Amino acid sequence: MELKDLKEIKAIIDLMKKNDLSVFEIEKEGFRLKLQRGTPDQTTTSAPPGTASLPKIAIIPAETGKPADTSSLKDIVSPMVGTFYRAGSPDGVPLVDVGKTVTEDTVVCIIEAMKVMNEIKAETSGVIAEVVAENGKPVQFGQVLFRVR
Amino acid sequence: MFEKVLIANRGEIALRVIRACKELGVRTLAVYSEADVDSLHVQLADESICIGAAPSTESYLKIDRIMSAAEIGDVDAIHPGYGFLAENPHFAEVCESCNIKFIGPSSRAMQAMGDKNAARVFARKAGVPVTPGSDGIVETDSDAIKIAKKIGYPIMIKAVAGGGGRGMRTAHNEPSLKSAFHSARHEAEKAFGNEQIYLEKLILNPHHVEFQIVADSHGHVVHLGERDCSIQRRNQKVIEECPSPLMTPGLRKKMGNDAVKLAKSVGYENAGTIEFLVDQERHFYFIEMNTRIQVEHTITEEVYACDLVKEQIRIAAGQPLSPHVAHATPRLHAIECRINAEDPEKDFQPSPGRIAFYYAPGGRGVRIDSHVYTGYSVPPYYDSLIAKIITVGATRINAIDRMRRALDEYYITGIKTTVPFHAAIMRSAEFRDGNYDTGFIERVMSSGKLELSTPATQLRE
Repeated sequence: MELKDLKEIKAIIDLMKKNDLSVFEIEKEGFRLKLQRGTPDQTTTSAPPGTASLPKIAIIPAETGKPADTSSLKDIVSPMVGTFYRAGSPDGVPLVDVGKTVTEDTVVCIIEAMKVMNEIKAETSGVIAEVVAENGKPVQFGQVLFRVR
Repeated sequence: MFEKVLIANRGEIALRVIRACKELGVRTLAVYSEADVDSLHVQLADESICIGAAPSTESYLKIDRIMSAAEIGDVDAIHPGYGFLAENPHFAEVCESCNIKFIGPSSRAMQAMGDKNAARVFARKAGVPVTPGSDGIVETDSDAIKIAKKIGYPIMIKAVAGGGGRGMRTAHNEPSLKSAFHSARHEAEKAFGNEQIYLEKLILNPHHVEFQIVADSHGHVVHLGERDCSIQRRNQKVIEECPSPLMTPGLRKKMGNDAVKLAKSVGYENAGTIEFLVDQERHFYFIEMNTRIQVEHTITEEVYACDLVKEQIRIAAGQPLSPHVAHATPRLHAIECRINAEDPEKDFQPSPGRIAFYYAPGGRGVRIDSHVYTGYSVPPYYDSLIAKIITVGATRINAIDRMRRALDEYYITGIKTTVPFHAAIMRSAEFRDGNYDTGFIERVMSSGKLELSTPATQLRE
């Protein structure tokens, strides 16, 4: 995993402050960086006092990077072309999440193709290790949707 | 003009369509199978979407996935190329109902001419001569025998759902007719899901001469002359030329007018080709219509100075025929050789694999339509066409000599190709005399007279 130069990150933070930007996100092969000013979800993390205005840095390895134990991870890939949805309905709860145990028949997501909602089954068993595809985004045939341990 | 077009094809024709789109300022979306990830058309398209596994039935023939990709990509139109879904009326219909313009004729016109037997009926109605044959589908072998007796042997048994040289059998006499009839039906059922067959008189040693039709959505229909495609191997075209060596201005006028008449009678729109057989006495007979752009459209483009694929896109976008197309006149002579990944020394056995080194000829009057390059792996799942080489010359002999020169420069290693085969044909006296028919390749191969040329050039890589 590559870390962007700390200098570069500081430069981005300054740019954000100057231009009053609240979110900056960049994704490259092997790494993803998201900077968020202000703390809209303060309830999930306890920030030390005085740091409330500091941007939160979350460095997330992108799916093309090699996870720790590749050998035991299986890919759930898209069997069709369409739009990937995590929930069965627009306001619904995601069908699966990281940590959920699935069997071959577990419906893990919906792929919408030509106005038809297709239920996609896991076709494998294990525990969801990673949600790879992005909700509401198009997916192509063979694209990795989830990784299962 | 369209904003974005989806190319529902692969290989050289997908590249051809992408080039036309780029010149028109139209954005391109390529759909591809897992075997075509590194294909040139995928790399050059503005966007690309993988639609399935390598086998065509899992990808290029998957209408639902193609339409999904069209929806995601928000395209205005789809160009089907040739083969695959290009002459599938259901696919054209699906496009129509999804409000995505199918770049080609309407599904109705496609259906009308797609049934080869129905097409003969349309031709007869339009007053276009057809090969003597059955007046429709032949149901039983006893019917076949009766009809064959009337028409006279030898007889061709053809599948109504066939085309492109497939689904055909010949019978030279009554004893062989019965078994040929049944094997033709069986093959037709397996290959096209439709066992219906009809009979035609087999014209001996004919020339296969086809006319290019272009029609817009405003009722203008023109023909852009003929192409002679008699040089065939196992009913597959290998060399085409424009104009035909046996054409006369009078014959061209008659056949051209009949072609236009037929296209008009079925309300045809966009590009299409009317195929005829011409016998030794210059009698011509309609055999079938191809409701798509053809592989050999290139030689018509060179002789009539037009871009047929761009014209297809313009017509589909509602524009009237371009003046230079509507009033096109022929100039010069053009020949096309289809270069396949096949080994001509091993009965044209397919030769897929990685192209280690690729150098294509150039120079005056040489055109190459190809999607391959050094390092490209020719997949085994699709047809073996890797390149079309087209030469133009002031005269027919000039075009032939130029093709001979160009083929001698064509250097492809890593796989076997039919370049040496074509080089030998360009040197054959019979071909150079223009004295050939659809039996030419068969005769010249079996006589062993064709000496495969090794390329005159051996490039140091």
